[in-house]
Amino acid sequence: MTDTHSGKVSTLFLLDSIFLSEQTTKEAVFKDVAEQLVQKGLVKENFLDNLIKREESFPTGMDLSVVNEFLPNIGIPHTEGEFVNTRCVIPVKLMTPVTFNNMINPSATLEVSFLFMILNNDPGAQTNILSDIMGFISTVNPEELNNFFNYTDTEKIYQFLQENF
Amino acid sequence: MIKILAACGAGVNSSHQIKDSIETEMTNRGYSVQADAVVVKDITEEMMSKYDIFTPISIPDLGFTIPIPVVEAGPILYRIPVMAIPVFDALEKTIKDNNLK
Repeated sequence: MTDTHSGKVSTLFLLDSIFLSEQTTKEAVFKDVAEQLVQKGLVKENFLDNLIKREESFPTGMDLSVVNEFLPNIGIPHTEGEFVNTRCVIPVKLMTPVTFNNMINPSATLEVSFLFMILNNDPGAQTNILSDIMGFISTVNPEELNNFFNYTDTEKIYQFLQENF
Repeated sequence: MIKILAACGAGVNSSHQIKDSIETEMTNRGYSVQADAVVVKDITEEMMSKYDIFTPISIPDLGFTIPIPVVEAGPILYRIPVMAIPVFDALEKTIKDNNLK
């Protein structure tokens, strides 16, 4: 967890690995992001295939209207640790909302505007990344959070996460 | 000891969060529980026979009839009481209805 007031910096986010995507399907978004993650050495070559396969079987769209009716929905795509090389979160702002299936009710779909793509090659770690993401969502002021989800400047996204995650 | 099986697609995030939350809350409610987190595709009938309750995010198609009580635990992931408490209440009811110890 980050606490910039005490001088700590979250290692879960990388300034050069925050993306804005113009793609309009989740497969295209995944391809777009995964190719860059492979180039950076953060994931393995077979990451994309496994990410898509996993999302089809176990969708990751999360309906945030249950947290606050004004918040856009998010996706938390991820796959097994063997396909990634690190432990971090890749934020992706979707410039056009993209259809995902609902994690809790997989037959239902929802429009997603922001991804927290989880890369985790250490599932036994003491802190749980998904739990931290949901803690962030449920504790940050909803109005500020809504503004954050509309940011289209990767440095602003990074800064907000460092200050609030 | 009540044995609970949590499961998700990748076994690296969701199921671990469900496992941790269930162990904490059910211990607070006075039950002796142990939860394990696994990948759905690794579940077999033999594995499941060693548990008392199955707590997936949503009920998966395992290719066999699930022989133990199931409580869908996905709402726990939101980390907000209004979503999580009904899951814990359902778990507690399942424990009592089946006289699990």
